[in-house]
Amino acid sequence: MSEPNLVSISSRRGRRLQALGEPQPSGFTDLALAALVATAYIVLLLHTVGSLGYTRDEGSYFQAARFYQGWFEQLWYSPAIALRNVDSAWRVNNEHPSLVKSLFALSNLFLQRRWHLFAMEGTSFRFPGMVLSGLGIGLVYLWGTRARGRLCGLVAALSLGFMPRFFYHAHLACFDAPVVTMWTLCAYCYWRALGRGGWLWPIAVGIAFGLALDTKHNSWFLPVACGLHALLLELGVWLARARSGPLHPEQRLQVRLRRRRSLAALGSMALLGPPVFYALWPWIWHDTVKRLAEFAKFHLDHVYYDMEYFGRNYWTPPMPRSYAFVMTVATVPAITLLLFFVGLVASRRTGPQSSAPRAPTRSEIEPGTALLWLLAIAVPYAAWLSPKTPIFGGTKHWMTAYPFLALFAGVGLCAAVRAARRAWTAATVPGWLAALARGPGLELAFAAAVLVAPVVETLHVHPWGLSSYSPLVGGAAGGATLGLNRGFWGYSTGAVTGYLNATAKRNARVYLHDTSPFAWDMLYADRRLRLDILSAQTIAGADFGLYHHEMHMQSQEYQNWVAFGTVRPDFMAGLDGVPVIWVYRQPEAPAGSTGSPAPARDPVPASTQMP
Amino acid sequence: MSWAARFGGARATARRYFAALVPLAGLCELAAHHHFAERAPRFEAWAAVDEPVNRLRQAGDLLVVAPRWAEPMARRKLGDQDMLLADLARPDVDRYRTAIELSILGQRAPELAGWRELGREKVGKFELRRLENPRPLPVTFDFVGALGPEQVSVQMVGPGVTPCPWAAQAPVLAPGRGGHPTFPARRFACPLGELFNVGVTVIADQDFLPRRCIWAHPPAWGELKIRYRKVDLGEVIAGHGGMDWMIERELHGAPIRLTVKVDGQTVGEAIHRDGQGWARFEFGLGAHAHARGAEVEFAVSSPNYQNRHFCFEANTR
Repeated sequence: MSEPNLVSISSRRGRRLQALGEPQPSGFTDLALAALVATAYIVLLLHTVGSLGYTRDEGSYFQAARFYQGWFEQLWYSPAIALRNVDSAWRVNNEHPSLVKSLFALSNLFLQRRWHLFAMEGTSFRFPGMVLSGLGIGLVYLWGTRARGRLCGLVAALSLGFMPRFFYHAHLACFDAPVVTMWTLCAYCYWRALGRGGWLWPIAVGIAFGLALDTKHNSWFLPVACGLHALLLELGVWLARARSGPLHPEQRLQVRLRRRRSLAALGSMALLGPPVFYALWPWIWHDTVKRLAEFAKFHLDHVYYDMEYFGRNYWTPPMPRSYAFVMTVATVPAITLLLFFVGLVASRRTGPQSSAPRAPTRSEIEPGTALLWLLAIAVPYAAWLSPKTPIFGGTKHWMTAYPFLALFAGVGLCAAVRAARRAWTAATVPGWLAALARGPGLELAFAAAVLVAPVVETLHVHPWGLSSYSPLVGGAAGGATLGLNRGFWGYSTGAVTGYLNATAKRNARVYLHDTSPFAWDMLYADRRLRLDILSAQTIAGADFGLYHHEMHMQSQEYQNWVAFGTVRPDFMAGLDGVPVIWVYRQPEAPAGSTGSPAPARDPVPASTQMP
Repeated sequence: MSWAARFGGARATARRYFAALVPLAGLCELAAHHHFAERAPRFEAWAAVDEPVNRLRQAGDLLVVAPRWAEPMARRKLGDQDMLLADLARPDVDRYRTAIELSILGQRAPELAGWRELGREKVGKFELRRLENPRPLPVTFDFVGALGPEQVSVQMVGPGVTPCPWAAQAPVLAPGRGGHPTFPARRFACPLGELFNVGVTVIADQDFLPRRCIWAHPPAWGELKIRYRKVDLGEVIAGHGGMDWMIERELHGAPIRLTVKVDGQTVGEAIHRDGQGWARFEFGLGAHAHARGAEVEFAVSSPNYQNRHFCFEANTR
C-alpha cells in the first residue's frame, strides 16, 4: 500500500497538508505562531491565577525577592554601597540560585510598584514564572515544528501546557516550571548547534546552560544528557562501521561535522555556562568555592520530607523506585502517555532519517533528534531509580522530562494521522471518512480528539493541580483511595479565604498549619484576606485551625480535635468530593460563660478591613 | 464464507480502523474523566446521610466511614453527637458489638471485615450497612474515660513523692507543627514542666490513625503513678501503648516500662520499645478477676525520659 501523493490530491490542499505534517525549515511564520501560543498560554495563566493560594516555598521566594529588590534599587542609586552589601542581600535563600528570584523582584518592582499592572501583588511575583512557562510552551511548539512539522509542534506544545500538574506549577513564583523552559532551551540550542553549525548556536548553548544553572539545580544533569547524546551518536557510527564497513565519503563528512559540532556545543557549556552562572548569582561572588560547596551539599544531602505513596508514608530511604514512573502515569493525561508511546515506536520504526526528510545540505546534518529527546527524558527520570533520591517534590522534580514526552506525543499523533490517511484513502471506507482523510480536517479532528481531554481535565482540576489524578487511577477520589498524596506545601489556603472573611469575628486568630507566614502575608497584600484576621503560632488560643491534609500531618488534625473540643470541621474545600483543606473553629462559648480571655492584641481600625 | 475468510476480513477491517484508536482513546479519556470526577459525592451531598444514619443507628453502634478519607465529610455533617471522639480515636473495634458502615465508591472498612451483615440500605451514592461483631469483647471499665479527680490520683514517685493536682481549667497547650499532642484543659498537672501531666489526648499511631489515650510522660527519675480507686474488674486488664509516630519512628529513645498493679500486687508489665507502634498488652488478673472496688495503679518509667511521649489506654474486660 503506497502513501498517496499528497501534493497530487490538489496542489493547494497538498501544500496545506505539507505545512501541517512536515518539518518547517525556518521562517518567521512559525516564530510568530510560537509567540502566539506562548502569549495565549500566559494570558490563560494570568486569567486563572486568582484562585490559587500561595505555597510554602513561594513565601520564602517572596521574602528573598524583596531583599534582592532592595539591593537592585541600591545598585541603581548607590552602586558602590550596593556592591559592598552583596552578601547581606543575597544571603537570603542562598540554597537556590537567584536568576528567577531576581526576575520576581524586578517584576514586582517595575510592573507592580511602578506601573500597578496586576490586580494582586502576588501576581507580580508570579508573572516571570508564567512568562517563562509560556515561553517554554512556545519553544516546544517551535522545536516540534522544526523537527517534525507544525501538527507535531502544536500537539506537543498543548500536550505539555495541559498537563494538570505542569499547568499548576506554571502559575507559581517557583523554579520548577522555569527550569523546564531553561532545560528545554539548552537542549534546543544544543540540537540546533549540532544541526546547523556556525558559531551562534554553540554560544547560545553555553549561555542557555548558564541560565539553567542559575534557575535550579536540576540543570546539573543537562551536560549528562547532552554528553550521553554525543557519545551514543559516536557509538552508532562505530556500530555502523563494524556492521557495514567503511562509511560513504558523504557520511564521513557528516560524522566529522557532527563530532566537531558536539564538541563545540559541549565545550561551550563547559566554558560559558559557569561564567554566566557566576555573573548572575551575586551570592557566589565572594567565597565562591566555599559557597558553591555549601550549595551543592544542601541539595546532595537534602533532608527527606514525608510523602505518601500507596498508603504508606515515606520519610527515609529506601524510597520506592517506582515512584516517578507510577506518579507520571497517575498524573499525566492518559492520552498524552499513549501518544508518547506511539511516538516512541514511530520514531524507532522510521529511524533517524525521518527527522530530516528534506535533502540535507552539506552543512545541515541530522542531529539525532529522537535520541536527544529520549535522553532528555531518561536522564531526569534516572535519578529516581536510586532509592536514596527523595520523593517529596511529587512530580515537579522530573518535570524537565515533560516537554520531551510531549514532543514524542506530537510525533505519535502525526504517526496516527499518517496511518489513518494511508488506510482511509486507499481502502474501502465510508465516503465521509475518505473525504476527511483527503483534507486537513483529519489532522484537526485527530488533534482535537487527543487534546480535548487534557484541556478539560486541566481546567477542571484548577486550582487543585497538586491534588489531581488522571482517570487511569480514578481521578482525585481514586488517588485518595489508593493512598496517593493529596497535596503538599500548604498550597490550598487560597480556598478558605472566602470562608474566613465571611465567618471570622473581628481580630480572629487563625492557626496556619502548613501555610508559611510569608505566603499568608501575601494574601493580605492581595486584599484577599481581611487585615484584621490574624495568624496564630499555635492551635491553642486560635479561633480557627487550618488543616492541610497530608498523611504524616494527621496528628495536626488531632491537635485541633482536643484543643477545640470538636471533631467537626466547620469548612472544607477540595477536588471532586475529596477534601484537601479543612478548617476547625473554636466552638462558641455558651451564653453567660466566662471563657479564658483572648490574648491581648492591637486593635485594628475598621477601615483596614476588606470590603 | 469460511472462518478463515471471515477472520481475514475482520483483520483487514481492524487494520483499516486501527489508527482511529488514537482519537478514540482521547474521547474515552474525556468520558472517563467525567465519570470519575462525578463519582464521589460532593461535600454538601453528605447532608443526605444524616437521616438514614440516625434511623439505623442504635445505642452503642460504632460508626465507621469507608474509605477513611471520606470521614471528614461525615464528621462535618453528622457533628460531634454522632461522631464521638472516643469512637473515632478508638483503640480497636473489639469492644463494639455492632457497627454502622457508611461507605461510598463501593469501599469497605477493612477493620470490619468478617463482621456479619444485619442489613443494608443505599441512599444515593452512599451505602449503609449494619454489622455485627462475631466476637465482641465488651469492656467493663474504661480507664481513659474514667480519668478525672473523682476516681484518680496522680503522683511522681522518685527521690520523693510529688503529687500532680487536678486542674479543671489549665491552659490548653497545642503547639502545632512538630509538637506534642494537645494537652487538654482538664488534666493532672505535675509541677515539673508542661510535658509532665496526665490527661486524655489523641496521638497518631504508626499508620497515623488517631488513638485516644492517657498522656503519661515518664519522669526523669522514678515513676509516674496513676492510681484508680473503686474499679470493678473483669478477667483481664488490656490496652495499648505507644507514642506519636513522628517521635517513635526515629528509634532513638529508651524503652518505657508500664507496670500495672491491682491492690498493690503487680499483675503485669509491658515494655514499649520504639518502632512497636500502637502496641497491645493484656494481663490476666488471676485471683483479682471480677474483684469489685479494686485499686488499680499504672506506673510509667524509663531509664532516659528524653522524648518519651508515652500515651496508653487500658480497660478491663
